[in-house]
Amino acid sequence: MLPGKYRAVSGRAASNVNCGLHLVIQTSSLPDRNKVEFRLSKETPSFSGRLLQHDLERNYSSRQGEHSSLVSSSMPAFPILHRSTEEKILCSDRLTLERQKLTVCPIIDGEEHLRLLNFQHNFITRIQNISNLQRLIFLDLYDNQIEEISGLSTLRSLRVLLLGKNRIKKISNLENLKSLDVLDLHGNQITRIENVNHLSDLRVLNLARNLLSHVDSLSGLDSLTELNLRHNHITFVRDVDALPSLQRLFLSFNNICSFDSVCCLAQCSSLSDISFDGNPIAQEPWYKHTVLQNMAQLRQLDTKRVTEEERRVASVVAKKEEEKRRESQKQSLLKEKKQLAIRNIARQWEQLQQRRGSEATGPERPGSPSAAQDVSQAQGSGPAFPEEPGSPDAPPGPALADTHLVEVDGDTLSLYGAGALECLDRSWSTQTAGTVTTVCFTFIEFDDIVQVLPKLRMKFPNSLHLKFKETKLVMLQQFNALAQLRRIDQLTVDPQGNPVVSFTLWKYYVLFRLSHFSMQKINGTEVTQNDMIMAERLFGILAHVASSELPQYRLISILGDARKKQFRYLLDAKGKRPGLVSEDASDSRRLLTENTNRATLNYSTRDFFNERLEEIREKKQLCRAYTEGLVQEAAGIHTKAEALQRLWPQMFIELVRDAVVDIRSKDAFMKLSLQHIAQQK
Amino acid sequence: MLSPERLALPDYEYLAQRHVLTYMEDAVCQLLENKEDISQYGIARFFTEYFNSVCQGTHILFREFSFIQATPHNRASFLRAFWRCFRTVGKNGDLLTMKEYHCLLQLLCPDFPLELTQKAARIVLMDDAMDCLMSFSDFLFAFQIQFYYSEFLDSVAAIYQDLLSGKNPNTVIVPTSSSGQHRQRPALGEASMLEGVEAALFYQRLESLCDRHKYSCPPPAFVKEVLSNVQRLTFYGFLVALSKHHGINQALGALPDKGDLMHDPAMDEELERLVVRSRLHRTSRQHRAEEPGAFGFQRRDKPEALERVSSASAATPYPYRWEPRE
Repeated sequence: MLPGKYRAVSGRAASNVNCGLHLVIQTSSLPDRNKVEFRLSKETPSFSGRLLQHDLERNYSSRQGEHSSLVSSSMPAFPILHRSTEEKILCSDRLTLERQKLTVCPIIDGEEHLRLLNFQHNFITRIQNISNLQRLIFLDLYDNQIEEISGLSTLRSLRVLLLGKNRIKKISNLENLKSLDVLDLHGNQITRIENVNHLSDLRVLNLARNLLSHVDSLSGLDSLTELNLRHNHITFVRDVDALPSLQRLFLSFNNICSFDSVCCLAQCSSLSDISFDGNPIAQEPWYKHTVLQNMAQLRQLDTKRVTEEERRVASVVAKKEEEKRRESQKQSLLKEKKQLAIRNIARQWEQLQQRRGSEATGPERPGSPSAAQDVSQAQGSGPAFPEEPGSPDAPPGPALADTHLVEVDGDTLSLYGAGALECLDRSWSTQTAGTVTTVCFTFIEFDDIVQVLPKLRMKFPNSLHLKFKETKLVMLQQFNALAQLRRIDQLTVDPQGNPVVSFTLWKYYVLFRLSHFSMQKINGTEVTQNDMIMAERLFGILAHVASSELPQYRLISILGDARKKQFRYLLDAKGKRPGLVSEDASDSRRLLTENTNRATLNYSTRDFFNERLEEIREKKQLCRAYTEGLVQEAAGIHTKAEALQRLWPQMFIELVRDAVVDIRSKDAFMKLSLQHIAQQK
Repeated sequence: MLSPERLALPDYEYLAQRHVLTYMEDAVCQLLENKEDISQYGIARFFTEYFNSVCQGTHILFREFSFIQATPHNRASFLRAFWRCFRTVGKNGDLLTMKEYHCLLQLLCPDFPLELTQKAARIVLMDDAMDCLMSFSDFLFAFQIQFYYSEFLDSVAAIYQDLLSGKNPNTVIVPTSSSGQHRQRPALGEASMLEGVEAALFYQRLESLCDRHKYSCPPPAFVKEVLSNVQRLTFYGFLVALSKHHGINQALGALPDKGDLMHDPAMDEELERLVVRSRLHRTSRQHRAEEPGAFGFQRRDKPEALERVSSASAATPYPYRWEPRE
């Protein structure tokens, strides 16, 4: 219990029981009481404490009988202690009263030079009547029933105060004990460390087996070398680094769960001995290493010496932990950035839709907004590389800053925002491109996606699953555009932002138009044989009409367009990947053989369509002019023919009349004719 | 053929009446557009095919709206094409919204305007709850009236509004542009007391209109029939009656009678053939998928091998992937 230095002393004190203690107990309460005097004989040297007590009782009771004017025991009675002079000379500075069954501190008379006072193992409830012992250095009240520290204010020389195993609830009233060296308060009910900050000479503080839940307010204990906090409920430790001399700290059997709660210990450079056993953190697998890593100055941990080997292992483990933590931090940071970017893009999209909606009264859509200010990061060699979002919210003016996000996550390529489509222009490593099986489009207009589908087909040949969300799919016709891909196994069209999903027939149309893909799933539900048949039934005639009833030249022109587009793109790409041309040629052949009847169902975006109409307009004017010319000619000829028709009878009659008139006289006619002939020659 | 009325018309008017010029211009335009392809097999054949398709009514497939709207014949052909292609949808019994019908229309004509479909829907739904579902036959007949007689209907609407607001019957009605025609609800006071207009008065005005619009208005006799049955009628009531009138439908000649709307035996046969073929195709694919092809994925030049590739992948997951060639 007591620190080693003093144990011997108290041991000696204990053994002083046999050195002839004579106890004279005088009861006195208020002045007008009879004094009952007891005197114990010197001839009983080897009495035991208990016997003494018994004797005392006997004597007391016997004496009681003699003096009837004994004060009733209702009044508190303080026994007064007297020692015989021989005693005083023998052990002049120490007095041991342990196991005396004392319930109160007796008044100690005439012992002003007492230096050591031992009240161990009694039943004392209050510290009293020792204020006169102003030379007291050592006061031991171990194992009593003291509930409050009090009555010590005059003991300015006190150096050792042992109050273990009492019922003290609060540390208080130690203000004047500035020379205190050892303070033992173990085994009490103390809940807070307080009122000890002035004890600058205190070297040992024992607060084991109390009810402490945390450690703080330790400033000012500049000499403290040992702090015992075993067997408490401590969850966190603070201020320990303010103790410049602390060498030993015992925190065994507390409730420390994480190293953060004791992080201040790392700064405590004087600590060489620490114990954490019996705490939850001691159960952790990395406990020893962490402690050793953070407290390089330790020499003993849990009363075992720390070896160099352990230290080395600890540092290695700690480094690995650090790296892992940094990595996960980076990951979470990236994730956050990604979420932010996506939210940004969503906002842009909404704004765009609102603007388009308000301007959509006219047939033309406004041209796509200007300046894309995307800040692209350097492409990492690893799989994930999100792009930094550009400048935030667009002002209501005309310029709109695009933000977009491209993310490859295992087998999924996710594209957010219209600008993300440009990523298909970048060169992708074959490995990355080969593993991508799902492509997700979000916040991108479908019409824009249509433009890049050929590129998608080339760059990501294994993409099997397409997902569309907030892509403004409004017409069944738009699905026609998906036919140009190599293969689709699954199609997911999120209802959000895609009004086409509200149509009853959209799935059947998709199955019908993309029947050559033999899709497995649409929006998560399996495609059954019945679905396919239904699709065929609903739209089969459309296909039939579209193929067989179109005049030949139309067929060729429509198919020709599609084929031309494909080949043009391939020719562009020929320089880069010559091997693919033949592959795609065979693909297009396959396309034709499998479903020519559907191939005429194409989709061209509204802008493209209008462009084409514009082009045709000139031709139309030319045609009109030409036809009008033809008509004029025909009309002219017709008029002339009609005029001829009208005038001909008259002309015929005149002709006949002229001839008849001429031939009326034969001779004259013959002469005239001969004249004509002669003239002609 | 050589009827006196025909010869009585001056040239341009005759041509205009028969819309000959429209077709000529369009033919020449198509020729110009596709000259590389057409030059391969001859211009004469092109013209033959073109005018054959005009006769059959297939010339309007996938054409732009301005062309489809240009002549009554085009309009009728379009209606017929729409009916033939999507009769199966109606037969299936699905009720669709206006937007979905519009989608179907757009499959045949990419830039078909939404207003027309909306107007047609209004006729069916009596201008009420535009998101309601409509049956195929209802929509089709209403659409027919709206599309085929759209200019006429605009004028009628103007007349109706005038009558409602009680204007002088002798003022000349100039139909406003079709897109700008807003349906104004009649003043509440009047409408609540007397719904619609007097049928007789209405008919008088319409008669004079019909005389002016000789070519694209319903036969006056039928209009009279419709208007003689009731005392008063609203605009949409009138249109609904028009759309349901058998005589007008027959006069148009594009669609069969309502009772026969779902019948088209020739097409049904064709459809069955298609369905059977697709079913066979699918099962044969699955069948083929079960036996691993001898060449696996290597041979890509033969179509059958290609089909096997795709069919194998249809039923079982790809054992290995397409690697883009370097």
